Amino acid sequence: MSTNSIKIFAGNSHLGLAQLVASKIGVDLSKVVVLKYSNQETSVTIGESVRDEDVFIIQSGCGEINDNLMELLIMINACKTASARRITAVIPCFPYARQDKKDKSRAPITAKLVANMLTVSGANHVITVDLHASQIQGFFNVPVDNLYCEPSMLKYIKTEIPDWKNAMIVSPDAGGAKRATSIADRLNLDFALIHKERKVANEVSRMVLVGDVNGKIAILVDDMADTCGTLKKAAETLKDNGAVKVYAIVAHGILSGKAIDVINESFLEKLVVTNTIPHEDKKSVCPKLDTIDVSPTLAEAIRRTHNGESVSFLFSHAPE
Amino acid sequence: MRRAKVFSGTSHPELTEHICERLGITPAPVALKKFSNQETSVKIGCSVRNEDVFIIQSGSRNINDHLMELLIMISACKGASASRITAVMPYFPYSKQSKKKKYRGAITAKMVANLLSVAGVDHIITMDLHASQMQGFFNKPVDNLYAEPSIAKWIQDSVPEYSTGVVVSKNAGGAKRVTSLADRLKIDFALIHTDRTRVTRSNSTAPGTPVTPVNEVSAQESISDEKPISNEDNNSYFYTSNATDNNITISVVNDKKYDDEEDFSSFSTSNSDPFFSEENDLNLNCSNTITLVGDVAGKVTFIVDDMIDKAGSFIAAADHLMKRCNAKRVYVISTHGILSNDSLIEIEKCKSIHKLVVTNTFPIPLENRNQSTKLEIIDVSATLAEAIRRTHNGESISYLFYTAL
Repeated sequence: MSTNSIKIFAGNSHLGLAQLVASKIGVDLSKVVVLKYSNQETSVTIGESVRDEDVFIIQSGCGEINDNLMELLIMINACKTASARRITAVIPCFPYARQDKKDKSRAPITAKLVANMLTVSGANHVITVDLHASQIQGFFNVPVDNLYCEPSMLKYIKTEIPDWKNAMIVSPDAGGAKRATSIADRLNLDFALIHKERKVANEVSRMVLVGDVNGKIAILVDDMADTCGTLKKAAETLKDNGAVKVYAIVAHGILSGKAIDVINESFLEKLVVTNTIPHEDKKSVCPKLDTIDVSPTLAEAIRRTHNGESVSFLFSHAPE
Repeated sequence: MRRAKVFSGTSHPELTEHICERLGITPAPVALKKFSNQETSVKIGCSVRNEDVFIIQSGSRNINDHLMELLIMISACKGASASRITAVMPYFPYSKQSKKKKYRGAITAKMVANLLSVAGVDHIITMDLHASQMQGFFNKPVDNLYAEPSIAKWIQDSVPEYSTGVVVSKNAGGAKRVTSLADRLKIDFALIHTDRTRVTRSNSTAPGTPVTPVNEVSAQESISDEKPISNEDNNSYFYTSNATDNNITISVVNDKKYDDEEDFSSFSTSNSDPFFSEENDLNLNCSNTITLVGDVAGKVTFIVDDMIDKAGSFIAAADHLMKRCNAKRVYVISTHGILSNDSLIEIEKCKSIHKLVVTNTFPIPLENRNQSTKLEIIDVSATLAEAIRRTHNGESISYLFYTAL
């Protein structure tokens, strides 16, 4: 007898998050063995029946990104051929999300390719968090629920940043201005914008702050922090303009390359990231790193998706 | 162009004429009419077998009719064995609906992309897509041309003191577009933010700081002491809430782009105004704060956006720049001049706006053009014609991304 119950599978990318989500829902992670053959091919063995079940596969786009993507595709396909009723790919950090447009001549739109790959492998539904551009939802022919970190970020600011009412929300580039203004509005704070100016060709880009942060706490807001070079420079610019303290709150902390050294040397008081990407090992060498847990949001989205309830509530509220 | 045919839809024949003139050809014959039951009928008047077909159709006020016409023309050419069909859509219809709004919104732009593919299109040429991510909605190649080089050229040629000017975005979403133009012109930029939820606060920042003054004023103030924006002429973008409370709140109901996470209930098919009803009861009772981030005092300013539909938010922004921030002159510049309803007249009346500059991607009726003294139209047909020529000959079009023709 099928029960159409929730089955949560986790890939190797972010087991910690998957366990948090599963425990919030009150189920155990379903059994799956994901290995690599000696020739580096990925091998997936689903360890229990998924026939007529509601399958959720949690895999983030991080670390060995291509391996993890391939793992996800194979897991979806394995569940598909094993007659799962519905397969939802839960992708906290969508891989290749930055390659979402032909911004240069002949640039590939890789995010679209990834969307096609997911659909072809058999995903019926996608749940993700803070897509780099929400237009990516239109790359799919299946429903995509794009959850937001914003409610959790607001909660963090209100509880963890002392004197946040004297703060200023700052976007480190023009593209993120909308995200920053949205948070500024919700907190009833002012906002400012940093622009990397290229007035003269070949001149090293200079950062220009538009807005006044003198005597204030500056909170940088962005959707991802990769090498953190921009954040470091932005923090310097803010400090030069009289900011008392500089925080950075970022949805996806990719923190690749020398990011940790850069953060440690920077003026940043704290870099706050969500756990859409694992960074536990980095935390031990970087005391400035702090985490926002988004597993309650993901767990609630999974529960609501399974029960056929609306997820809109989660766009503006952070569940406990 | 050998073995190529250029067809024109009925949305913007003038633009097709310009393009064909540049290409040195005449538009291929096609009979487009409507049956009495309003169905669109298309008759291709010449053989297209093994030809390279280009169909030029922009958006227009009758957007659905013209979209349908385009789809039928594509399908007709496909059925008539054209070797390749390229839809040239200077303004891409439904491009504002390019993402899911917070609640259950349809991604209509994606659906239009699917419709075009199903009809049989092989290639799309368009200009200044509302979001460049939309290229990913297609499984066919999309060439998104930019009006920016032409706009930059116009500014350099027509505004003598442009080099001390400031480019202004009237909302946070357009900041990137604006910084790109500012970089090209090597001038400064600023940002206007209209906030509908925030309560008005006193300005805590010192206005004297050299680079970074933050001027802030509530919309309520900004019109209370200014004459030109009056409420009596049933002005469509200001609402006074009826006397539910003593102090009357006046809200600016913007025609902010739909993408500003706004619920687009304005698409209701109200009979009074079938195209865009001016609604938004959500906003009726909240006061708005307009904030300028940046410095424009004594400078020529250019408010730049990708499209201007209703004029309300542009006028509010221009008033703010002129009256509160002491700008010298305000130019409103946008690629697609949709200008629905009485937008042109409203802009004509607005003393804060010096000139309105649009390109000819979107058809503006002649009588409206004649009414306006402020309207300037940049001709982008050269860019579109060159893109068609290069596509036909299999040459790279990257050159057009940086150069005005």
